[in-house]
Amino acid sequence: MISQRANYFINYFKIAAVNIKSNISGNVFAFLIMSFSFFIMLFFLLCYINIYNYMNTFQKSNVMLVFLKNNAKKDTVVHFIGTLDGVKSSVYYSDKSSMEFLEKRVKHLRSVLKNMNPDNLPAFIKINFKKNAVSGIFLSNIYLRLKSLKGVKLVYYNKILRNKIVQFMFFTKVVGLILFMFLFILSIFISYSAIKLVILRKQNEIEILRLIGATNNYIRIPMFIEGEIGTVLSFLVSILLLFAIYKIFIFYKFDSFLEFFRIKIIFLNPAQIVLVLLIAVISGIAGTYLSSKKFF
Amino acid sequence: MIEFSHVYKSYNKNYILRDLNFTVNKGEFIFITGPSGAGKTTTLKMLIALEKPTHGAVKFLGTELPDLKQRDIPFLRRKIGFVFQDFKLLPNRTVFQNVALGLEVSGIFGDIIIKNVSEILKAVELYTKKDEFPLSLSGGEQQRVAIARALVQNPQVLLADEPTGNLDEETSLIIIDIIKSFNNKGTTVMLATHDKNLINMGRARVIDITKS
Repeated sequence: MISQRANYFINYFKIAAVNIKSNISGNVFAFLIMSFSFFIMLFFLLCYINIYNYMNTFQKSNVMLVFLKNNAKKDTVVHFIGTLDGVKSSVYYSDKSSMEFLEKRVKHLRSVLKNMNPDNLPAFIKINFKKNAVSGIFLSNIYLRLKSLKGVKLVYYNKILRNKIVQFMFFTKVVGLILFMFLFILSIFISYSAIKLVILRKQNEIEILRLIGATNNYIRIPMFIEGEIGTVLSFLVSILLLFAIYKIFIFYKFDSFLEFFRIKIIFLNPAQIVLVLLIAVISGIAGTYLSSKKFF
Repeated sequence: MIEFSHVYKSYNKNYILRDLNFTVNKGEFIFITGPSGAGKTTTLKMLIALEKPTHGAVKFLGTELPDLKQRDIPFLRRKIGFVFQDFKLLPNRTVFQNVALGLEVSGIFGDIIIKNVSEILKAVELYTKKDEFPLSLSGGEQQRVAIARALVQNPQVLLADEPTGNLDEETSLIIIDIIKSFNNKGTTVMLATHDKNLINMGRARVIDITKS
């Protein structure tokens, strides 16, 4: 019984291979469109994951930078900071040490910084707050009070952007979902069209198979296999293409530019890749099912 | 084995079969005859559940065919070999693969296929052409391939719809001889034709569906 089923299965694969071979141009066309749609899906997921990661690290940061006006005295500000609870450390950077700070952070831009006048750089105080020791409301309050101090030009505080980040994340989620749905439907439609073409072209053959006693499964299963082979191959091509682009990006050190903004580019993890593969497989099954439904 | 009782068939209220009654016994060879459009093909198609009677009963081995469930139809067709006037061979498969298809759809694979297909191809004298494609064969050879495909499953009944319709007299005689040889081995044969010469050659019971 098991070997019988195995024989059936091997035969289904053989028929699917014959089907693919007999319509090579049509299959390649469908395969390319599918690869393109999966590539967009994966590319979007990659961008989304990276933006999400960045936003997460951005949100977790408890640093506040207080930029001072030119020639302003730091004492009032330093004194105020000293009275605050939850401060882990605070460091004052004069305009000269601002330059050192910059040089340390962006080593590869040292040649550019060499021609820069340190006087043009602002003096600032970097405050590190204790993690989880202070609430968002407390920090927002400090931010407002620091801003109102005499001699303070600008206060840079990550969490002030929190609401905007949340809004942005929501926006990207909605857009991502719409795009995903669109691409999912597109890949179903592509599988649907490819298999429908096979069916239309093979209508005569299907009729003969039925007349000699072939069951619907005998005719339909090779079509599902054909659809799935196309889907999985398209997916593999798109993931390899994305990985190649990612590697080129790393190889040419485009990421070091982004590192300046504390953005670390990461590739999709296996779970995310499997998720998209699953979506691809489902779209292949759905496309084949819909196209063959009319005929069986 | 086969029973048609009070069978009527109409298309758009136009009756092509009226009160058709006949029975076929196991191992018999019968000719179904009548002019073109009389319903010979429709009669045969009812036996493989490709058509349903408008009224009346069609029975095969005691089973009422119009009541057969959709999922059981393939299994019925495996018991009945069908030979068509236009051969209905797959042009992208070799002679061997076309004949093997009859077994593959029944879930038979491997050495049994090689053995059975080789045997049947030898019986229809086409073994030497097993690797050729149907379109490179003559009409008579194509029809022999179709007969081999119909018989490779060892069906209880062979239905042939104008199997010599596209062939010359000499080739027709060969085809009839082949069909007769399988009938002699016990296969029931129903052959639809309007060719009186063929009927004379066959020397078997004749059912004229315009009179039955």
